[in-house]
Amino acid sequence: MLLFLARRIGVMLVTAICLTFVVFYLTNLPAKLETLAKTQAGTRISDAEVARWLDRHGYNQPMLVRYGEWLGVVPGWVREEPDGTIRGRCVGVRGVEAAGERCGILQGYWGHSTRFRAPVGEVIGARLGATGMLMLWVLIVMVPMALIVGILAGMREGSRTDRSLSTFAIASTATPEYVSGVLFIALLASSTVGLSPLLNQWGLMDAPVLFQGNARSALEGITFWNFTLPVMTIALYGMGYIARITRASMTEVMTQQYIRTARLKGVTFPNIVLKHALRNALIAPFTVIMLQIPWLLNGVVIVEVLFSYPGFGWTLFEAAVNNDIELLLAASVVAVIVVLLTQLISDIGYVYLNPRIRVT
Amino acid sequence: MEQLAWLSIIGRIAQQLLPVWIALIVVFALSIRFKRRLGLYGKLFDSYVGMVGFALVMFWVFTAIFADFIITHDPLAQLRGMRNAPPGSALPTPGAQYPHYLLGGDSLARDVFSRAVMGAREVLTIAPFAAMISFMIGISLGLPAGYFGGRLDTGLTFLANLVLAFPVILLFFLLVAPEIQQTAIPTVMAGILFLVPVLFVMVLLNARYFTQPLKRNLFVGAALLVGFWAYSGLAFNADPLGVWGMRANLLNVFVAVVFVNAPTVFRIVRGITMDIRTRDYVAAAQTRGEGPWYIMMWEILPNARGPLIVDFCLRIGYTTILLGTLGFFGLGVSPESPDWGSTINDGRRLLTVYPHPALVPALSLMSLVLGLNLLADGLREESLRD
Amino acid sequence: MTDFQTAKRAVHPAARMYARECLEGKLDRREFLTRATALGVSATAAYGLIGLAAPAARADTPQEGGELRIQMDIRAQRDPRTWDWSELANVCRGWLEYMVQYERDGSLTPILLESWEANEDATEYTLNIRQGVTWNNGDPFTAEDVAHNFERWADASVEGNSMVSRMVAISEDGRLRDGAVEVVDEHTLRLHLDRPDIAMIVNLADYPAAVVHPSFDGDPIGNPIGTGPYRPVSHQTGIGAVVERNPDHTWWNEGNGAWLDRIEFIDLGTDPSAWVASAEGDEIDMLYETTGDFLDIFTAIGMEQTEAVTAATLAVRFNQESPPYDNRDVRRALQMAVDNETVLELGYNDQGVVAENHHVCPIHPEYAEMDPPEYDPDAAREMLEEAGFGDYEFELISSDESFHTATCDNVAAQIRAAGITINRTILPGATFWNDWLTYPFSATSWAMRPLGVQVLNLAYRSGEAWNETAFSNEEFDETLAEANGIADADERREVMARLQQIMREEGVLIQPYWRSLFRHARPGIHNAEMHPTFEVHYQYYWKS
Repeated sequence: MLLFLARRIGVMLVTAICLTFVVFYLTNLPAKLETLAKTQAGTRISDAEVARWLDRHGYNQPMLVRYGEWLGVVPGWVREEPDGTIRGRCVGVRGVEAAGERCGILQGYWGHSTRFRAPVGEVIGARLGATGMLMLWVLIVMVPMALIVGILAGMREGSRTDRSLSTFAIASTATPEYVSGVLFIALLASSTVGLSPLLNQWGLMDAPVLFQGNARSALEGITFWNFTLPVMTIALYGMGYIARITRASMTEVMTQQYIRTARLKGVTFPNIVLKHALRNALIAPFTVIMLQIPWLLNGVVIVEVLFSYPGFGWTLFEAAVNNDIELLLAASVVAVIVVLLTQLISDIGYVYLNPRIRVT
Repeated sequence: MEQLAWLSIIGRIAQQLLPVWIALIVVFALSIRFKRRLGLYGKLFDSYVGMVGFALVMFWVFTAIFADFIITHDPLAQLRGMRNAPPGSALPTPGAQYPHYLLGGDSLARDVFSRAVMGAREVLTIAPFAAMISFMIGISLGLPAGYFGGRLDTGLTFLANLVLAFPVILLFFLLVAPEIQQTAIPTVMAGILFLVPVLFVMVLLNARYFTQPLKRNLFVGAALLVGFWAYSGLAFNADPLGVWGMRANLLNVFVAVVFVNAPTVFRIVRGITMDIRTRDYVAAAQTRGEGPWYIMMWEILPNARGPLIVDFCLRIGYTTILLGTLGFFGLGVSPESPDWGSTINDGRRLLTVYPHPALVPALSLMSLVLGLNLLADGLREESLRD
Repeated sequence: MTDFQTAKRAVHPAARMYARECLEGKLDRREFLTRATALGVSATAAYGLIGLAAPAARADTPQEGGELRIQMDIRAQRDPRTWDWSELANVCRGWLEYMVQYERDGSLTPILLESWEANEDATEYTLNIRQGVTWNNGDPFTAEDVAHNFERWADASVEGNSMVSRMVAISEDGRLRDGAVEVVDEHTLRLHLDRPDIAMIVNLADYPAAVVHPSFDGDPIGNPIGTGPYRPVSHQTGIGAVVERNPDHTWWNEGNGAWLDRIEFIDLGTDPSAWVASAEGDEIDMLYETTGDFLDIFTAIGMEQTEAVTAATLAVRFNQESPPYDNRDVRRALQMAVDNETVLELGYNDQGVVAENHHVCPIHPEYAEMDPPEYDPDAAREMLEEAGFGDYEFELISSDESFHTATCDNVAAQIRAAGITINRTILPGATFWNDWLTYPFSATSWAMRPLGVQVLNLAYRSGEAWNETAFSNEEFDETLAEANGIADADERREVMARLQQIMREEGVLIQPYWRSLFRHARPGIHNAEMHPTFEVHYQYYWKS
């Protein structure tokens, strides 16, 4: 088991290094650096000014050297200005004395975000917290809903309940977040169309809108009214897939011999489902739910942008649009860790739930 | 001219779609008549779900094929007085044109109906094609990885997991940027990615006919010729005859979509191959002395087709959604393109006041993806049944 | 004193235009009054314009206190002279003040200046600095401080210092010319220009011209020393900023402003539908700018609309160095294929005034009236064929900002309708600026400048840094130099007529419209009407 873990962590490290290098390479193309200089120093500056800005901020060295600086294996750049002040990669973090030392990931320094003018570690930390809340609620809503739909549908294969629930599950996977989110806002969070004007007219509600179509206020405090729509948008799209896996797994279990035996023994149907079928039917959905988490990240970016909720997805979007190199790198490291960690948990959980399999 | 009522709008749309109805009826009549002779495809018509899915998908396929006859206006033309016009609005000065915007005008006074129809063509040329290339790449790499195992497998699996560890959106932002278009990266990637299908077809034919050199030379030669002709046009835009070609930004989107999809297909194919490898008929072929490529291409692959076809349908749907996601982030295919993702994104801002420009493409997209999912479900059920 | 120096012009020219339309019956009276008063014309004066007497009105006295929440992009702050977005300036307006302020009606109000004088040919300016002003750290505000700011503005060694181009007449070798700024006494300063520049004072109202303390280190948030009544509390890029009244500082203009206790700027991204959602959820009181179809939406949810007619525009320009646009006939043909009125209707929602392809606006004091440009798609097609470009595939590039794409899509649609092949390319906002000067055919948004000659100087003179059209015409340059030395607007108009004509003859750009700018705010927010250069003078807003 320990060896298994060690190997997985090793793979994780190698993956992270390869991946960050790709991101580093693609964000440091000359044209991208020019975009960066223009967003930093002024959109209409001349080419000479761009070159000078890049030179002054340490972007003129070979790409590999700068990647090494970011990792913390190569000493940071140092530059003396004509007026005698010393600038450098490490000066901003540890002061002038530290100029020329190594300061990168290995030293615990994640770099500086050019978009937010703040240390990357701080930005990512705060945003991850916000996304964590969102994901938590998504899972709380999505998982039970998907399991219930899947189990109800898979209990009696081919029944009318099965047909309608399966179609619902398929329809939900066919509705991407950018469609459902927009429909939700139009139906539930607009004072001119949808449900809210009706409720107002009937005197059932005082506020102009039922739900908030914008989740910014959730940063200060999550309420039912400002968090429902983003959570529902992600949960709906992710739910269909888990429900279908659960259904497939459930139908398979229901045809097993021991279920038939229990039935012949005279056990009531609810008891069969709850006591005999459920545990075995949940193995497959469990792995899928874990693997679904990194995949939800996609939806998180769309939804956070759509509802302007500044979480991890929103940060990723901002960093990508503004070519914020070090923030993007940190974001991709986080993404890799999330992907590989959930894979690991899903593997371990699979073993735990299914005693027939051993980790080798 | 006056505003049309809903009933007459529906009637007129149905009338415009006449070629689609005829084609659908012909296909269904023939298929149901001969369904016993059509293998897996024929079995589809035993399942209610499968038929509904197939009908939805074929509806859009025929719409895309006959788009030129169906549209009422040029999808790019902007007519004064038709900004955000409600469905059924009459043109102020029709002249020789169709006198109404059947599903209204969008925020640039273009015909929503014609754009949705043309959008079907846009979506249905990119998505299946991209899914196909992803499949060929996934198969060409997944078969040997699963069959041979060992170092090759470890290396390829690591690469696939590497790509899968990327958040899709980050990858899109990195790959579909205009700055990247200026570099050689998309061309190089296209050069590698598009080469795989050519090699795939070549190996496929070679493995089958290498005992008959004459036939082999003919088939492989012909395949190579056509393959490299298309390859030169698609990857490098250097087709001497100018038949094959792709705009730079389209190529960029295409490469990114293939790049995202191929590793997943690779994993599926690898898994199935590892499973089938242990079957008796593979052992039999090995004892017969068949080469590894023959076994992979002509023994394992045909037996893996069930799950692959199902996944192919799902993947077209997923690719359609992905293209829409690109449109959502403004990384779309072409600026004025009527493709559904971009039109949804353009229209969604004004959804509360003018719902039609966004709803029409949104419902189109949902129905196509739903159709593909139902079709996949039907196929899965039917293929499991034997 | 000439027109650009007087403190107030009586009536906004656009209001006069509206009055004419009203009297001709093109505009109903109610609409006229709304528009005219939105332009800052008092109701009485507006009634006067159409020959009626105003009904008796009640004057409002400002109320103190309250908090205002404004939707606005919050970008990473930097040195004011390098600001490239007016949003950056708006956050800091509460503590960083300006020498003069450009008003909604086109006049200039002295702020840190008390008054100014120029000599006859606009080569020497005497600035009288306001007395009794103190920095919020207690230092007195003197002519030395102002001289220091001029030095900063003229420093070309700072990347992105956009004041440099405005200080050309007092600088040399990329820095302030020795002796160009003379400190006469503690409250008087004299500028010696090496060429006539009638825009000198107007330039000091531009948003990068915020006046900073001599100790300023480049961070207006971390080092908020200024003369104004507010101070920053927090500032988070992309999220929001909070400003509150500074209790430890006595403002020179005490009693005439600083009514609000606290101002919160909220960044909700660039998607206006998110702003609607937020306004409906009662999370914001005021928008920075509303555009397009959203005007009706915000009005429908109960917010009040204000309008500013401006000389801001979108220049769909050709670069004359890249073929085929080096051919004048090609440029003229493309111009002729486009009907500006259609572009205004379909591309900009009819929220502006039709322009005439020469980049001088009717609200500029020196504008010379001209016939509308020629529109003839058939002739355009013929002209192109004659020039040998009948089958050429044109490409129109724009950034992804919504009104840029809408306008360019319409321009392209019209050119296509004339039988000419044209493709569109849209680049993300951040990337677009990489090559904005050299795209062969693209659209650039130009902000409003108070004088007609200012943009011509900046963008169309041969060899200018921002000359994106690569326009180089000797007669134009000479005539423009002449216009720059004529301080009187009426005299300058005669020269302007020729300049406008050259611009048109040479087919320099398709300039379809002048943008009107709009803003929505909840009822009961005063003095917060839309400003032609997007300024948010929150130190003068109040809530009832």
